[in-house]
Amino acid sequence: MSAQPYGLIATFDDVPSLYHAAESVRDAGYRNWDCITPFPVHGLDKAMGLRRSIVPRISLAGGITGFLTGMSLIWWTGAVDYKLIVGGKPYFSPMFAFPVAYELTILFTAFATIIGMFVLNGLPMHYHPVLKYDQIRRGMDDTFFIVIEARDPRFNLENTKALLARAGGKAITELEA
Amino acid sequence: MSSPVAHASPALPAETSSASDLPGKALKFGIAGLALTAAGLFLPNNARAVAMSYLVGVTYWTAIAIGMLMLVLIHHIFDASWSTVIRRQFEHGLAAFKWLALLFLPLVLASFLYQRDIVWPWLNLDHEMHGGHTVGHDPLYLKKAAFLNPGMFVGMTAGFFGIWIWLSARLRRASFSQDADGDIGWTRMNRTTAALGLPLGAFSLTFAAIYWVKSLEYHWFSTMFGVWFFANCVRGALAVGVIIMVWLWHRGDYKGILNTNHFHSIGMLMLAFTVFWAYVTFSQYFLIWNANVPEETFWYNLREINHDGSSNQWKWIGIFGILFGHFFIPFFFLLSYRYKVSKHIIRRIAWWFLAIILLDMCYNIMPALKDSHGDSLPLLSLNLVWILSSVVGVGGICVWAYLRSFPTAKLIPIRDPRIGESLTHHE
Repeated sequence: MSAQPYGLIATFDDVPSLYHAAESVRDAGYRNWDCITPFPVHGLDKAMGLRRSIVPRISLAGGITGFLTGMSLIWWTGAVDYKLIVGGKPYFSPMFAFPVAYELTILFTAFATIIGMFVLNGLPMHYHPVLKYDQIRRGMDDTFFIVIEARDPRFNLENTKALLARAGGKAITELEA
Repeated sequence: MSSPVAHASPALPAETSSASDLPGKALKFGIAGLALTAAGLFLPNNARAVAMSYLVGVTYWTAIAIGMLMLVLIHHIFDASWSTVIRRQFEHGLAAFKWLALLFLPLVLASFLYQRDIVWPWLNLDHEMHGGHTVGHDPLYLKKAAFLNPGMFVGMTAGFFGIWIWLSARLRRASFSQDADGDIGWTRMNRTTAALGLPLGAFSLTFAAIYWVKSLEYHWFSTMFGVWFFANCVRGALAVGVIIMVWLWHRGDYKGILNTNHFHSIGMLMLAFTVFWAYVTFSQYFLIWNANVPEETFWYNLREINHDGSSNQWKWIGIFGILFGHFFIPFFFLLSYRYKVSKHIIRRIAWWFLAIILLDMCYNIMPALKDSHGDSLPLLSLNLVWILSSVVGVGGICVWAYLRSFPTAKLIPIRDPRIGESLTHHE
């Protein structure tokens, strides 16, 4: 095994022990770590100290971009680039630009949301170092895991191992990078 | 845990005595409001203004009750889970329909016994139109006379209330009976009621909006009007739902039942219906603006300019009240997750909804009240007194009906098949 492993993995038998272990890892100040569970555990995001996703802000930025794009598209084409009176209406009015701006708001919001989500969650991901761990498949069945990555600034092989042991983790193993 | 209860206690000294006290207080407010409205009739030449203001009050609260009815029907048709714990409060709210029918009666009686055109000009064929001719000689009336005549008006209005009272009675009976026997048959009955009730409700609320509000200017055309009304109905019902949720949470009833996600979910519905309302209302305005034909634009002209071209009050109400107050302000507040799950902020947004829906009702009803030039009378006038007294009067009766129904059933439908899912509602 190389000098610096990818990180440490510990197993837990049930939800309460994983939940409390997550709280102690959170309170120790770690940032680059994760829990692996066979099913969604409600409240785990709080125990891990995760904040709400910033995807909504990306969506909002997309929406505002779409709205301004629609408005300026109608304004540029109708009032600047090729002036044409249609139906006795002014060259530009936000009134008739609104349907276009509205549609582009929705379209750009949808794009920003989907792209923002994929960028933030790192999917699609074809390989992850925990897949080399021979027990990991039990994470789809009856075992819970906590993985702490070596790139975390607080990571220290001995101290982190001790933390996981104190938190009730079993079979603490170094993951190959 | 103890501090919120202690905090709530000054307002409600003893659980039992206050519970029996509140309905009486609401009833007193209601009667006082109705009495003040009636007192307005004694002022000279004031009957039409009072009747129109009273129409605002009745339509406003009927809209909220219809919104509650539609939300309960939608809950059942989708077999929804999260809303089960708050559905019961809407079912109590439905108790108001029979009183609303009674409260609508004075408008009908006044139209037939006192003055035919006191509210709806087309009920009187001799009503003189601005410009000289009478309703009876108006080609636009004659084309619509099959719908707009006294028989249809009375029959349809009775039919609307009949449908709403009948659907409400079915929904309430099934839900309350299930508390006692836990029979799944009541849930099936509710689904049948919902499948039948949604189209019935949609048609009846659309025609009610057309007969009661839109026909005040029977020359006008708009295919959006019923949908506009529906959007306001549901927004009003959601707002009342939030106010009840926060009230019962602070009183302690809903402690341990409601969690953050219930507030998030109802907040999302408020956001969705805000956008829906804006879509419909803007579409109506935009199509009329774009087509620019006088049969339609006059309706907005009444709400913008006087006959000499000067702006009237309704123009500013339209811009700041309807465009910003009804859409932009609540829209940007409701985008935020934090505001949706904060009980204090979502309650404030709910009160804002109720105030601005009232303004929207005034915007749609009151400009039919005109001076001798055919210009709309302003909102900020003595008429505001009758509007507010009607809203308090009819509202007091509706709140009384809700509070009177409240102790007759459990706080939540304890034996609903979805109650477990609702209690553990999560994202």
